[in-house]
Amino acid sequence: MSLLEGLRFSRGTSPVHMLDPRVKFFMTLVIFVAAVMFMDLIPLLLILLIQIPLVIAGEIEREWVKTLRGGIFFSVVIFTTNLVSFYFFRGRHLTSDMVEFALALTLRFLVLITSFSIFFLTTSPDKLSLALEKARIPYELNFAFITAIRFVPVLAEEAESIMDAQRSRGLELDRGNFLARIRKYIPILLPLIINSIRRSLELAEAMESRAFGASSSRTNLYELEMGRRDLAVLIVSVLALLAVLYAKFFMPPFGPLLPPYTFL
Amino acid sequence: MGIVEVRDLQYTYPNASAPALRGLDLTVEEGEFILLTGPSGCGKTTFCRCLNGLIPHFYSGELGGEVVVAGLSTRDHPTTELARHVGLIFQNPDNQIFALTVEKDVAFGLENLGVEKARMRKAVDWALGVTGISDLRHRATHELSGGQKQRLAIASILAMRPRVIVLDEPTSFLDPVGAERIFEVLDSLNREYRMTIILIEHRMDLAVRHVDRAIVFTGGKIVADGPPYEVFASEDTRLTGVGIPKIVELSKLLSRRGIVFKETPLTADSFVENIETRISRIEAGRRERPVPADVGGLIDEQRGRPIIEVAGVSYTYPSGVQALRDVSLTIHQGEFVAIMGENGAGKTTLVKHFNGLLKPQDGRVVVDGVDVSQVSVASLSRNVGLVFQNPDDQLFSENVEEEISFALRNFGFESEVIEKRVEWALNLLDLERYRKSSPFILSGGERKRTALASVLAWDPEVVVLDEPTIGQDYAQKERLRHFLMQLRTQGKTPIIVTHDVEFVAECRPRIILMADGRIISDGPTDRIMTDMDALKRASVSPPEVTKVFSKLSRYGFPPNVVEVEEAADMLYRRLREVER
Repeated sequence: MSLLEGLRFSRGTSPVHMLDPRVKFFMTLVIFVAAVMFMDLIPLLLILLIQIPLVIAGEIEREWVKTLRGGIFFSVVIFTTNLVSFYFFRGRHLTSDMVEFALALTLRFLVLITSFSIFFLTTSPDKLSLALEKARIPYELNFAFITAIRFVPVLAEEAESIMDAQRSRGLELDRGNFLARIRKYIPILLPLIINSIRRSLELAEAMESRAFGASSSRTNLYELEMGRRDLAVLIVSVLALLAVLYAKFFMPPFGPLLPPYTFL
Repeated sequence: MGIVEVRDLQYTYPNASAPALRGLDLTVEEGEFILLTGPSGCGKTTFCRCLNGLIPHFYSGELGGEVVVAGLSTRDHPTTELARHVGLIFQNPDNQIFALTVEKDVAFGLENLGVEKARMRKAVDWALGVTGISDLRHRATHELSGGQKQRLAIASILAMRPRVIVLDEPTSFLDPVGAERIFEVLDSLNREYRMTIILIEHRMDLAVRHVDRAIVFTGGKIVADGPPYEVFASEDTRLTGVGIPKIVELSKLLSRRGIVFKETPLTADSFVENIETRISRIEAGRRERPVPADVGGLIDEQRGRPIIEVAGVSYTYPSGVQALRDVSLTIHQGEFVAIMGENGAGKTTLVKHFNGLLKPQDGRVVVDGVDVSQVSVASLSRNVGLVFQNPDDQLFSENVEEEISFALRNFGFESEVIEKRVEWALNLLDLERYRKSSPFILSGGERKRTALASVLAWDPEVVVLDEPTIGQDYAQKERLRHFLMQLRTQGKTPIIVTHDVEFVAECRPRIILMADGRIISDGPTDRIMTDMDALKRASVSPPEVTKVFSKLSRYGFPPNVVEVEEAADMLYRRLREVER
């Protein structure tokens, strides 16, 4: 179930984990904006370098490296398709500019997945839900979001039991042609779906028994409170955003609208 | 007026042909601890749903009569309001936990009620404390064990401070240690906080030690209601086919032979006390009695060829949990084996090696002469049929007939053979009536039988049943026991993985005790079930009868008695002298 690993956030107590999710989200957004604005190697490299201390402070180095490894394939795809298309569209010749630009685009991709990693790997769904609540997202939606996450491991376990049971009845998932294999997933999917329907009924009963929806002014055990550190990060992020905008529009090498590459 | 008043309660589910409840009258006084029991489908769960207004607010259908809880009629007050007064706890802990962390889940009900933060904090801390899970408060809910999850479910209800809590088979999914903990929690709630508790439970021997009133349902009606020693001794209760606590059964067997008890004892301790006074009366004049020889139990001499050989097997899950540590064992054809031990001891991991679902990382597993690492699960399954705990994890076909033929088609049987085998399996498990019914409309017990039939149909040599008695009532268990005996006479090799000591005491298989990934003891029932040290290490509590005899051993009784009839015989022979 390697696919589900990605949904598992780390339950750390690092300074990055402790940041107010709204501030962290804003910080991520600033990095995102910066990465989208620049198309040159140097600033993108700079952004990536700024992110590394955040990764280390958040104690998510291992997960980050895993994510990067997962991104290798896409990086290669981005790099080669760009290079190949430049080569063909610009009269079948290659300049160092083109290589640099393809590299920059690849780097941008890495910057983006890093910024998402920092946010999602250090923000527990509980905190995310609090942030959503503060953003006045209706509680029902919020509840659905948390419940979905809550039942990921339950469903994964159940899927495993079902596979074990059907394999014990002679079902061979890895035999036959493509279509035959797809058909073989019916005995796995059907019990999973039917169990989920049964479960939803039980959940509804349990929700009623826990007074779900009893009061229109719901309270919360945890409250988001902005601390001094959150404020500091917020200010730094705002300053960084201003700096990025200034660099983009008023510093000549980056040009107001067009990227510096002459071949474009 | 009682805390719960039920007057002529009748209820029929929508689209049901027959009523589920047919005229119940009941008064529950504040502070009572009540055991509610009855055969499957007797209306117990339906009754629980009436207590907090799920009926009629969540389930429509026809409701007659009245239920008043803490002075509120369930007709006029919605479940969300009644939830403050009466809390319902369900069988499957996973389906009543909503939050990702323990503490947050306990607060869920209070958040819904809009309780202000400081008061919520206090209530949450209290609820975590009384259920003994304070140290888990920041843990992720999905990482908890089954027993911890169920205690969390109780804490989450308690946080709302209801005066009545209703629990619908809360220990079904737990091992004996987990179940015992739940009872400790309930006991303290009842005694220290005078909370009224209504409990549905199949673990009679455990339950009667704690409750002060028992109510028996059958066919949507109350047939017996009173103190447990009266209820379980009554003929009306026996006729419903519910499980009777073993000690009560033992006392009844004796009283039929003239050794009468004024008040039927419910626990091993009170039984022993009673017997001791009787014995001391004759023992007064005499010294030293000759110690009778061990009864020895049935020893199987006729052993077939080895069919499963496990040598030095270790297995570690990708998560890092080491489930098996250097396990070795041989099972012969025709043996009847029970694998016991607490959850996480490695039982299921071990049996998954028997049909190749798991391949040994270290060591060797040989099934009927074939090394499991060499062949597919499908080909091993021809010899070893695994029936999993939850039938819903495998049923998917349009009808029962199709369900049973699924494996046969996978194994490539000819269509005439399939037809014959399906017929045979339907017959064997008494499912002919449902041949064309969808497996999803069957009752829990019938679904379990369908799953069993779908495996037995291909006639495997070894049949492994994982927790076959969970959620089964007494009559269903009896049927299962006969069925296992039948398999044995056919020369098959049944293997059960179970927590149910009383069931095992009646079946008398070879027992393999596991703890912490190792086999710690292996032998015939009467030896293993009376080896208190090994049982303790495996967190298995001995059968009730064994508890009695280990306490009576100083009077010269053999300590290795596990079964009721045998125990009654032995006690009768000894006590007859006193009664004369």
